[in-house]
Amino acid sequence: MKRNVAFMGALAAMTLVLSACAAEADTTTATTTEETTTTETAAVAGSVLESVKEAGVVRCGTRDALPGFAVLTEAGEHEGFDSDFCKAIAAAVLGDATAVEMVDLETADRFTALQNGSIDVLVRNTTWTASRDGGEAATFMQPTFYDGQGMMVTAGSYESVGDMNGAVVCVAKGTTTEGNAALESSRLGLNWEVRSFDETDLILEAFIAGQCDGWSSDVSQLTGFRSAYPDGAAALVILPEVFSKEPLAPAVLDGDTQWAQVVNWAILATIQAEEFGITSANVDSFLTSEDVSIQRFLGVEIVSDDGSAVLDPGLGLPTDFAYQVVKQVGNYGEIFEAHLAPLGLERGVNSLWTNGGLLYAPPFR
Amino acid sequence: MSSLPSAPARVPLWRDVRVLRWAFQLVVLAVVLALLYWLYGNYQANVAKSSIPTNLRFLDNPANFTIPGNDLDQSAPVRDAFYQGFLNTLQVAIVGIVFATILGTLVGIARLSQNFILRTIAAAYVEVIRNIPLLLLLTFMNLAVVLQTFPRIEDAWLPLDLFVISNRGIAIPWFTGSALVLLGIVLVGIVAAWIVTKIRNRISDSTGKPAWAGTYGLLVFVVIMVAGWIATGNTFTLPFVDDRATAGGFRLDPSFFALLVTLVVYTSSHIAEIVRGSIMAVPRGQGEAADALALKPSAKMRLIILPQAFRIAMPALGNQYLNLIKNSSLGATISYFELTQIAQITVGNGSPAVPAFTLTLLVYLGISLITSLIVNYFNRRLALVER
Repeated sequence: MKRNVAFMGALAAMTLVLSACAAEADTTTATTTEETTTTETAAVAGSVLESVKEAGVVRCGTRDALPGFAVLTEAGEHEGFDSDFCKAIAAAVLGDATAVEMVDLETADRFTALQNGSIDVLVRNTTWTASRDGGEAATFMQPTFYDGQGMMVTAGSYESVGDMNGAVVCVAKGTTTEGNAALESSRLGLNWEVRSFDETDLILEAFIAGQCDGWSSDVSQLTGFRSAYPDGAAALVILPEVFSKEPLAPAVLDGDTQWAQVVNWAILATIQAEEFGITSANVDSFLTSEDVSIQRFLGVEIVSDDGSAVLDPGLGLPTDFAYQVVKQVGNYGEIFEAHLAPLGLERGVNSLWTNGGLLYAPPFR
Repeated sequence: MSSLPSAPARVPLWRDVRVLRWAFQLVVLAVVLALLYWLYGNYQANVAKSSIPTNLRFLDNPANFTIPGNDLDQSAPVRDAFYQGFLNTLQVAIVGIVFATILGTLVGIARLSQNFILRTIAAAYVEVIRNIPLLLLLTFMNLAVVLQTFPRIEDAWLPLDLFVISNRGIAIPWFTGSALVLLGIVLVGIVAAWIVTKIRNRISDSTGKPAWAGTYGLLVFVVIMVAGWIATGNTFTLPFVDDRATAGGFRLDPSFFALLVTLVVYTSSHIAEIVRGSIMAVPRGQGEAADALALKPSAKMRLIILPQAFRIAMPALGNQYLNLIKNSSLGATISYFELTQIAQITVGNGSPAVPAFTLTLLVYLGISLITSLIVNYFNRRLALVER
């Protein structure tokens, strides 16, 4: 009898939860609760910018084992292309590129971490797609790297993607890669078996053991893994075909325009700096530049006949944020040369627009 | 208040034990409800702030991924992928429960064997397996056994030319033709065998001659299976290596194999202990009575001890079955496409996390509750009817 009561209680609680879940389908109740709650939260919770300034640290969602983009060094520091953009954001907001807390995330958990507020910004070579913008509550920023999906195989096994009939293709779980591989397989009628793994370490194990014929991912990632392959880079070949668009972009949570703008302009500063030819080494010499657009960019006083002024674009950032970004981290070209060029990646479409690439920063004025 | 001596009149409400009990229960209920309400409100607020969808409409979006060993198209809706994941969970759970029960019972009996070596091996098996974390066991099975010990497809083992074993899966001989037809034949066979055993038992009861019910039943089952097989024109296909894959036969996915073996081994170590305990809980007199009737040891175990032991073991076995079903979600870590893996993939590709995982959670809850009902049904059937 006693057990029955407990069981009924559990059942009653369950019914309540379920009915609560069902209630959300009722649009009228849903909208009313939404309205009341948003007005409450808007008044209480400020922008992430405020909380970051208060904490004195930017929590950046990243990873620890992707050569070139983000690896954990023996010293326990994160190093790489993505990590540098985390540092650039910290330099812009807090004036200190080291004020970053790197939060390592599994691929499949990255958006949940963003949604529950355990990170401020996600810089984890994440592809910008429409359904992630919509369904994952992410707002994507200026892409830091324009990538495309490719296929890596052991040297001598296949000449092109079209040869890979009935192959086992291994990919990372919860990525755009899965869908692209499935789509490419059905488009070319190749009947691939696409296996998805939690982490790239597991793909590596399966690939080495010969469970996978192909390893499909963004070309930049494949290049990184190839360079770190245990049997040497020459044992692997990245096939020539690229079968998707993968704009890799940092992301912040929806609904915080101020923070989104801050992150965006921190990235754009690295691009604009390269366009001006300003590097971390020579940035100080530009402080005395006579060029007004450079003065605006670096936030130095613009002296005119009517006195002097400093451009404050009103982003909520210090006026010298671009200077701090370039001084402490470097311009886009420097970041690329430091981390991606050693892997053998070419600038390609990731060149400045002036060199025929896609990198184009709006004016700093 | 004035008439103190008229003692047991009425206890004031705040000192009435029955009232206090009720009040306490109500307070607890109110606290729990308030907590749930607060959590739900919190969720609603956060979700509204970041405009994450809270409905199940994502189920109609294209899945954008494929499932190994399944011809689900990548443009099929997420709903279908979830359904396939559900089937894969059921598949590994049902097969796992059957094998874990058989293996666990054998090991449990072996633990009580008179044979020292057998007894020691069984004890070592139970103690080692039971004390290893399941996730570690699974990772070991996948990385060390399936990936590293099994050969590459180029050098696949071909025992008797009936099987193809490689780290891309294990292919076994299989029948051609429809699975439903085969299932029909099996069902007819089982029903016929059941009827025959009933008849044999009845004859035995009235004449006193040995029933041989099991033997007759098995014979009828085999005859019907063979006859049905031939009548429906079924044949076997043998697997063989075709380029970099296997063709013919039936291929067990490598991660399915790793997960199944791990679940069976792990759960059987627990079942073995339950079976051992249950056998020991059967009153000594039962065994002694069987000995007094000069029953062979095998007959004593089969007819006297085990039926009574399983009556005791049933509720605990049910728990192990539930554990096995829930543990199958670890398959997601080795790329077995069961429910959890499907949920993780679709959430990574734009499905909202809370509704997707709530759905997954409810499906597991449903499977577990139904399993409990089945176990409880058998438990009631087996329980001694007290008069």
